[in-house]
Amino acid sequence: MLELLWLIPALPFAGFLVLVLAGNLPRAAAAVVGCASVGLSMLVALGICIQFVNSPPPGDAFTQSIWNWFETAGLSAGVAFHLDALSMVMVMVITGVGFLIHLYSTEYMEDDPGFQRFFAYLNLFVGAMLVLVLADNLVLLLLGWEGVGLCSYLLIGFWYRDSANGRAARKAFVVTRVGDTALLLGLFLLFAELGTLHIQDLLGRASEQWEPGSGVALAAALLLLGGAVGKSAQLPLQTWLPDAMAGPTPVSALIHAATMVTAGVYLIARTNALFELAPAAMLTVAIVGAVTLLAAGFAALVQSDIKRVLAYSTISQLGYMFLALGVGAWSAALFHFMTHALFKALLFLAAGALILSLHHEQNLFRMGGLRKKLPVIFWTFLIGSISLAALPLIGSGFYSKEKILWDVWISPHGGPALWAAGMAGAAITALYTFRMVFLAFFGELRTDVSHRPRGRVAFVLIVLAVLSTIGGGVELPHTFGHVTFFSDFVGTAIETQVALPPGLDAVLWALLAMASLLVVLGTLAAWYLYVKAPGIPERLASSPAGSALHRLWFSGWGFDRVYEALIVIPFRTAARINRRDAIDFIYLATAGLTRALHVVLSETQTGRLRWYALVLTTGTLALILIAFIR
Amino acid sequence: MTPSDLQALLPHIVVAATAVAVMLVISFYRNQTVSAVLTVAGLFAAAACLPFVWSAEADAVPPLFRVDPFGCFHIGLLLTASVAVTVFSHSYLEKYRMERGEFYILLLLSVLGALVLTVADHFISFFLGLELLSVSLYVMVAYIFTKKRAVEAGVKYLFLAAATSAFLLFGMALIYAELGTMAFPEIAAELGGGDGLRSPYLLAGTVLVVAGAGFKLSVVPFHMWTPDIYQGAPAPVTAFLATVSKACVVVVLLRFLAAFDSDAVPGLYLALTVVACASMLTGNLLALLQDNIKRILAYSSIAHFGYLLVAFVAGGPAGAMAATFYLVTYFAATLVAFGVVAYLSPSDREADTVADYRGLFWSRPGPAALLSLALFSLVGLPLTGGFMGKFFLVGAGAEARLWTLLLVLAVSSAISIYYYLRVVVAMYSSIEDTPQTRELSEPFAATPPYGNTVGAVQALLALGLLVLGLYPQPVLAMIQSVTRTF
Repeated sequence: MLELLWLIPALPFAGFLVLVLAGNLPRAAAAVVGCASVGLSMLVALGICIQFVNSPPPGDAFTQSIWNWFETAGLSAGVAFHLDALSMVMVMVITGVGFLIHLYSTEYMEDDPGFQRFFAYLNLFVGAMLVLVLADNLVLLLLGWEGVGLCSYLLIGFWYRDSANGRAARKAFVVTRVGDTALLLGLFLLFAELGTLHIQDLLGRASEQWEPGSGVALAAALLLLGGAVGKSAQLPLQTWLPDAMAGPTPVSALIHAATMVTAGVYLIARTNALFELAPAAMLTVAIVGAVTLLAAGFAALVQSDIKRVLAYSTISQLGYMFLALGVGAWSAALFHFMTHALFKALLFLAAGALILSLHHEQNLFRMGGLRKKLPVIFWTFLIGSISLAALPLIGSGFYSKEKILWDVWISPHGGPALWAAGMAGAAITALYTFRMVFLAFFGELRTDVSHRPRGRVAFVLIVLAVLSTIGGGVELPHTFGHVTFFSDFVGTAIETQVALPPGLDAVLWALLAMASLLVVLGTLAAWYLYVKAPGIPERLASSPAGSALHRLWFSGWGFDRVYEALIVIPFRTAARINRRDAIDFIYLATAGLTRALHVVLSETQTGRLRWYALVLTTGTLALILIAFIR
Repeated sequence: MTPSDLQALLPHIVVAATAVAVMLVISFYRNQTVSAVLTVAGLFAAAACLPFVWSAEADAVPPLFRVDPFGCFHIGLLLTASVAVTVFSHSYLEKYRMERGEFYILLLLSVLGALVLTVADHFISFFLGLELLSVSLYVMVAYIFTKKRAVEAGVKYLFLAAATSAFLLFGMALIYAELGTMAFPEIAAELGGGDGLRSPYLLAGTVLVVAGAGFKLSVVPFHMWTPDIYQGAPAPVTAFLATVSKACVVVVLLRFLAAFDSDAVPGLYLALTVVACASMLTGNLLALLQDNIKRILAYSSIAHFGYLLVAFVAGGPAGAMAATFYLVTYFAATLVAFGVVAYLSPSDREADTVADYRGLFWSRPGPAALLSLALFSLVGLPLTGGFMGKFFLVGAGAEARLWTLLLVLAVSSAISIYYYLRVVVAMYSSIEDTPQTRELSEPFAATPPYGNTVGAVQALLALGLLVLGLYPQPVLAMIQSVTRTF
């Protein structure tokens, strides 16, 4: 079964090729190709996963070399896949959630003229994402990394006739390129210092050659972090994600919530040995995560567009993952990645169904009272919200978030300050999540419902609702339940875990209780503010300080305006001033020179036989002379 | 002649016999399809003999021939290319009302000449092979005698080739006068003394032999004929000129020059370096603003054989390997390109201006995609065979520390991107519906749909081009094993 590993990325690529090359297929055929390629890939992944868990391969990892392009001067450019517990988790989430979203899209996109193009892009995305997580060297990883970036660009701008969508796509691409540049520099540095880009060799050599805390390790880790920050929309490169909601909602669910944006988390987890050599970089990761989760949480509190609330909440939850990574809680980060993929995909898909039911209405304040009208959407959205808010015991989000908060508390890299940020974030999360639920589904009815979700959409929503409820069961805290299946599994790939010091049970119980209490309080506050006394938020927002804060948060802390003023406008001005510069002249002169030479030489091609014979003879004589000169 | 000698020359005998067979068939029954099928069958039969040749006990048929694995590899390459040319010729000649069967006799005879050159180990076989190749080619170039351009091209080719044949003969005579031998191994043995070229006559003779070969390779300063003949000749014949008639000369030149050590004969290698640099630059510069695709490909072939000369100057097994690999990728790309031109040409003219190809992708995606792939490979874009070919050339050059040549190669390749991509851009730009463009695209409407043998052959060649770029290892290993002796 393991030998079939190559099929997992190959199938979606095959689907993409069929959809692109087959010309205009009937919708049903395009849907079947699009879904079946990812579905089969999921089945293969499932089979491999079962075998991998039951009888782990030697060394708990399996490497499959597909193809060696060429090998020269120590740089071997090849395609090889590396499967261990870390990539296994990613593969399962990508193919599983990916398949469900493909299925959902067959109904969601059914009236769209670009149906086939949509599935072609989605398949390409899944293939590229799988290459990213399975790559055994950083060059291939980069290929997947750029591939998903390209698909993200194509899908954000999917409805390209609206120029705003094109702008959002370009923004996403350019902002993530900033991070990608850092990543690329990181790869150059690693290759220059360690002489390889094969991930396992590289991590081994780094641990042997570099002292912990050495400058070069710090530089490499920070450059990789730059790439991760761009891709995962963390401060200061988070600005593209809210705008990326311009794409179709299944895209937001798949790319901008469940999978691509977690590539940064994956990258850091994959190169964890490198980060452990650079404690300062670890601390940076944790601080970036903590600040991001708070900042994005506040921004989510005031958004009126349901998809933007979800986008900010994604940034905030990714912040939790970074926080966990930064304190060395690798398995907690991955656990939260998994549960988040499930419940955030669920929330996006439910929101998408909601938007479609309301004539593409995305404004929360024009919704309301939809609880009875759209029961399936309401219940599934509620289940997703419970998980996101981490309401005690019910949803999977509770277990993963608690694990992060714990690990932050007990990890030697963590500490009370980081922990407090996480706790505050938990309360804010509950507040903005239930603000969304209460605004959309409670209160009085403000819009009429145009149509209801049918079979496939409802099916996918229910499956995801079930999964995001029981998904937390793979890892239960030791204070109750004590299931460590997930962390044991991930532990086969990443050995260093946050060790649990003995005798802390009472403290952990207390932490658990505090966190639960905060979440419940946040939920109650949302109920009070948006159901019981809906006038209060308005009054707060209309007070001078309140309205300033509202504006600040609504614009996502004004990052866009700052970047506009500090980077975009100066750059554009410089480019305009510098339109005709000396460097241009070099190129123009080169082109002019080649053209002139062309014209001169063309004169020799007269078409006259005697001239040709003359050139031939004098040329031969000249060659003989040249030979004699030496 | 012993039986094992006959066994070693089996492909040549089969091709010669096929020429006779085609001639006999034509005297009784005129049908160009029958002739073409017979030709292809003969070429395949000749290729099928290669395993026996490989296993022949004596790999040399002294003193004229040397049928070693290197020669066998090139025989296979030339036969493959000839099959493609035959298929293209068949569909091309279908458009003309004239006696067409004789074309295949000429084709087979010039293939025979090329095959003789690949195993030539002696001035006699060198010259005989070259003349056999050329004389048939004169007629093939002018075969469509109703076209003025074709006849003009044939006459030009005849005169210039005859002149260079005289150079070649003179060179051979000078060498013979000095060394008293015409066999390559004996020349190598005579020169092995280490005192370099003893006399000026010997050096001049060598340069003249190189000039004779250089004319066929159309390198500067023997390049003047190339664009006129490429443009005037029927497209399949141009494909033959660009591939088969050049590769066999490359082989014989590699064998001949193996006797001359670059340290012993610096003057010869300086001359080769000058020729290579001049060819790369001149070829690419001349193609720059050219509007005729056949002329573009003619100029680009000047440049490509300039690149190839880098491998000659580098010498040794690495040089021979790079040259052979480059030939293989160049063959595939060139055949696809001329195949598309031949296929799209209506009966009254050649489809050879860039304007003809404007918007081709939107009306005929198949040929356009194949032509793009071929042009990308000629540019040397990664993932195509052309990239790997150039990669090994640069590798061989870098090993021999030929920095000047590599610099010129890099600069001229950069220039070449412009004119190749100009054609590609034209193919993918949208067609404005003006009377002029409608008239231009009209001839293409008459060409048959792209599902016939021509399409299949081109698709196979294009596939080969991709395989060479993506997974060159098997072909590379094979070439390395046959070029070890250099």
